[in-house]
Amino acid sequence: MTSRALAWRTAAAEPARAGLAIAGVAVIGALLFDMLMLSQGLLVSFRKMLDTSGYDVRVVASDAFPARVDLTNASAIAADIAGLPEVRQVTIVRTDRAVVLVPGHAPTDVALLNVSAGAERQGWRVVEGVDLGALGRPESAAPAVISRPLSRALGLAPGSPLPLRALTSDAASALPILRFTVVGIADFQFENDGPHVLATTFEAFQRARASVSSDVADVILVASRSSTDAASTVAAIAGRRKDVHAFSNDQIVERFNENGFAYFRQISFVLSTITLGFAFLLVATLLTVAVNQRLGQVAALRALGVSRRRIASTLVWESALLVGTGGLLSLPLGWILALVLDRILRDMPNIPDALHFFVFEPRLALWHLALLAATGLAAVVYPVWVATRLPIAATLRLETVS
Amino acid sequence: MTPIVEGRGLTRTFPMPSGPVTALREVSFQMAPAEYVAITGPSGCGKSTLLHLLGCVDAPTSGSLLFEGRDVARLSESDRSRIRLTRVGFVFQRFFLLPMLDAWENVELPQAEMGVGLAARRARTRELLDYVGLADRARHRPSQLSGGEMQRVAIARALANRPALLLADEPTGELDEDTGEQIADLFDRVHADGTAIVVVTHNPVLARRAKRHLVMTRGALGAHR
Repeated sequence: MTSRALAWRTAAAEPARAGLAIAGVAVIGALLFDMLMLSQGLLVSFRKMLDTSGYDVRVVASDAFPARVDLTNASAIAADIAGLPEVRQVTIVRTDRAVVLVPGHAPTDVALLNVSAGAERQGWRVVEGVDLGALGRPESAAPAVISRPLSRALGLAPGSPLPLRALTSDAASALPILRFTVVGIADFQFENDGPHVLATTFEAFQRARASVSSDVADVILVASRSSTDAASTVAAIAGRRKDVHAFSNDQIVERFNENGFAYFRQISFVLSTITLGFAFLLVATLLTVAVNQRLGQVAALRALGVSRRRIASTLVWESALLVGTGGLLSLPLGWILALVLDRILRDMPNIPDALHFFVFEPRLALWHLALLAATGLAAVVYPVWVATRLPIAATLRLETVS
Repeated sequence: MTPIVEGRGLTRTFPMPSGPVTALREVSFQMAPAEYVAITGPSGCGKSTLLHLLGCVDAPTSGSLLFEGRDVARLSESDRSRIRLTRVGFVFQRFFLLPMLDAWENVELPQAEMGVGLAARRARTRELLDYVGLADRARHRPSQLSGGEMQRVAIARALANRPALLLADEPTGELDEDTGEQIADLFDRVHADGTAIVVVTHNPVLARRAKRHLVMTRGALGAHR
């Protein structure tokens, strides 16, 4: 009989103990798995969000990014950048606050996203109607793509008139009501449970509010040519324009990793360490108690010539069995728990729909299993020491008289 | 002929909080192959201590022990474990069978540890269970066996690797008189088949079966009168 088979028979002979150990490891392992997903989730989903927007470089006014500083003279800067050989496309983006004034409905606050015309990939996906550039350049009414929640709230559909008043800080007094037309309804990548989102072209918005036009943008999005990587484009922009700062998606993710998301990473590190500690204590305690309960058997086996290595390997297999089974069960359990926790955390204000706190990656599952395996091995050290170093004669004597 | 085991001036002292306790005092003992020795004496006189020394599970505080001519003190723990596995069989008062294994598996275990092949292991296990009269209980776990049956399985396990020396510590201590007699009969057969036996017992019936009867008193060994 192999050590593995002996370990299996030992565990099976005490189903309650084995069941409790496996359940304990599964629960603790689920928490560990969640903490690992949390440590990377925001970064991974943020990275995905950036990459799926279709732009690999962002140009801003200040090195203090992501702090918002107005990028003045945006059209000229965009045109200059568009002339670089590394650049395939440039989009100017500005976000303003506005109030939609649809008759029969209360004034509704919206985030007004202005992007330069011709952008083929923006941060939204049209689900009804057409995109901003599809109708050419209508002179009469500015086109607007609105979010699904805004469409539902105000009963708007493609073709609906959309009166709104912009609330810009650079306006000396209340701006006039602007007339937009809904051309499409879309799911916005960065939309959160804050104000509804409405997108129009940078040019249309500037034209509609010509009296206070300032040619200011939040950011200029840049797409590199397929033959060029983002770092080269960043270098080219830095060489051309000393008055702006360009960041590749990698640099942005790294900056968020160092600042905004570090909080979650630190929490997940602390909680991961604690859960590993719990797993260690659980398995070590159960195995130590189990060994102490069968000291007589172990001493008898040693007296019969069973080697220390055999005793140790049986215990290691028993630990592997308990931790391995619990660890595998913890993956689906952790996944379900992550879905619940993610939903709760994403209910926080100003969290974009596309951003997730818990993101599964295959390497995290491997890390999780490796950490549990290491914990299982560490937890078995003391029980192995007890079992292999026990004084055989004294233990037999004690077990016989007790 | 080389003795299986020979102790010279064996002394074993245990450190205790109240001061050292000497369980064995200058005991010299020699065991010839195929000999059958019973050691009796009052509780706490050092019988089990001597048995543990003879079985290489404990070491004397002073004196020397030779097992088949080899000085046990010079052997590594691994070597002593090998001697226990291949040359010594142990039978305990409380059986110490593995409760999660059935009778067959308990008897197979020492053979597997020694690396005996599957076919040979099966044949030997079948032979031993038949030998102790438990062929029909092979698939029963210890909890499904009586005390006498458990002790017979334990004897079969002790004989699994054809030891030269069988050591039994109060093998009938947990059994009734009739069952004790059955175990005594079994020891007679084992001895008749050429295995040396040292049995430590309070059971006079079992002690009388031995060819040599020694009495231990306060750590000293003497012949039975």
